[in-house]
Amino acid sequence: MNPREVVSLGLVAVPLAVAVVGPVVPYDGRTGLPYSSEGVLGTDGLGRDVLGLLLVGGRTALGMAIGAVLLAYLVGGLIGLTAASTRQRWLDEGMMRPLDVLLPLPSLLVISVVAVGWRASAAAITVAVAMMNVPTVARLVRAAALDAASGPVVEALRMQRESWVTIQLGYVGRSVLGPVAADLGTRITLAVFLVASVNFLGLGLSPTAPDWAVSVSRNREGLLLQPWSVLAPALLLVSFTLGFNLLADRLVHRSRRLVESTR
Amino acid sequence: MRSYAAQRAGLAVVQLAVLSVLVFVLTSLLPGDAADLRFTETLTPSQVAALRAELGLDQPPVERFVHWLGNVLTGDLGTSLISGGPVADIVRSSIGATLVLTLATLAIVVPLAVALGIVMGTRENGRVDRAITSVTLALSAIPDFVIAVVLVAVFSLKLGWLPATWIGGSLLSSPALLILPIAVLFGRTVCLLSRQVRAGTVAALNAEYVTQARRLGIPRRQLLLRHVLPNAAVPGVQELARTGDTLLGGVLVVEAIFAIPGFATALVDGVETRDIPTVQGLTLVLAVAALLINLGADLLCNRLVPRSEILR
Repeated sequence: MNPREVVSLGLVAVPLAVAVVGPVVPYDGRTGLPYSSEGVLGTDGLGRDVLGLLLVGGRTALGMAIGAVLLAYLVGGLIGLTAASTRQRWLDEGMMRPLDVLLPLPSLLVISVVAVGWRASAAAITVAVAMMNVPTVARLVRAAALDAASGPVVEALRMQRESWVTIQLGYVGRSVLGPVAADLGTRITLAVFLVASVNFLGLGLSPTAPDWAVSVSRNREGLLLQPWSVLAPALLLVSFTLGFNLLADRLVHRSRRLVESTR
Repeated sequence: MRSYAAQRAGLAVVQLAVLSVLVFVLTSLLPGDAADLRFTETLTPSQVAALRAELGLDQPPVERFVHWLGNVLTGDLGTSLISGGPVADIVRSSIGATLVLTLATLAIVVPLAVALGIVMGTRENGRVDRAITSVTLALSAIPDFVIAVVLVAVFSLKLGWLPATWIGGSLLSSPALLILPIAVLFGRTVCLLSRQVRAGTVAALNAEYVTQARRLGIPRRQLLLRHVLPNAAVPGVQELARTGDTLLGGVLVVEAIFAIPGFATALVDGVETRDIPTVQGLTLVLAVAALLINLGADLLCNRLVPRSEILR
């Protein structure tokens, strides 16, 4: 690990730790006047303790995005792998073509629909963000798997009479992991953005929720009165996305170097 | 070439058909409608039912869809449940500000991103390349609304140099209003685009035909402009079509923060008041715009590098 990777990991780890451990930390934030400097980080526009809010607000801010990406990979990855490994052309076409149609679907449409129907439901927003990622994930996985499946290694494995499961999971599935890992970084960043933007606009969670993005939105008028009420949640969000971006960049470089060295 | 365009346009028609069904189904099958939301506190249940009948909300969904689609095809987007005026008017009055914001941003972003991408790509892994890459990587990790909140605090509230919110009048007549919104939108788009152009340039420079062209003694300038740039532009154009979606999301945030009465503001208002015809009309226009952008990008890529396959 070089210093840059350590820094990127640290950037991801801090907000993640706050989000995971935060809710169980026995911290008792006192309420006071709006935007006062009582307590460690002062109070927000509703007079609530900023540090206390930070500790519980990460669960939705990061959890929804990570959940959405995992769900997208579960559905899209399955579709992509099946489409790539099947010998039935109609099955491949039948699964991928509908996704092509959905590709230009503006994310705003999906978001606004969810906001109309299931306002303030974290699960609904997570599923909506996941669904928007499914077409591109399926395409990526299919392309990566096809690349591996059409190579000489699979040919050799087949001639050695290895079972279908060994070939698909043992080789094709594993060689898909590289591109997937690189994609995961940027995709999680985008999902965090999307979830945060929805919440920021007030179309998602309730405007008094402790969520980091909601906090930035709610307290933005008080930025000059009590900077931490806006900056602290914003910094945690940025640290997470920046760290993931840097990690993804490293992974892309590494997999490219690997490809070049095997050529 | 001709057959590619025809095929691609055919796909766009299918996409349009599916999208129109989706827009309608998703927005109309939702729990709660405008009649519920507006008057539950002041009206009796029977009055709500009468209102619903008047608004046409009591008919079966299929019938409503056929009716809606028929109207849309003749250019009638329906009537707003809240204002009582035609949805087309809402679209017309709100689309201007959004177009100004988007086009002004693109006019700055595209040339800059192409220039940056080529500068980076021709100096692969050099000091300049690494410096620009780091900056763009970091910038693209900051959410739009965080940049917006900080910029407003510094330049409007603290220094008082630039207006923080729209105060009426045309956007074009007061360019100072546009500076902060465009600054917010500019950051991420330029990063995403320039990285794609860089990747395209690197790939093109390493290609065999460029080596061959070099051997033939084609001057560097001509090599870059005539041979590398068209190939390098392909991932950029495709990314631009994809960024369209990101950019629209950004425009939404920017309009909300700076209180600009654009498309996004109208959409959020429509969602908040459950004004379904307005939401349907606005999202349909959005979906059609997204479709056309994708169609245009694919046709342009095919024109630049005629070997790209249809889809995938």
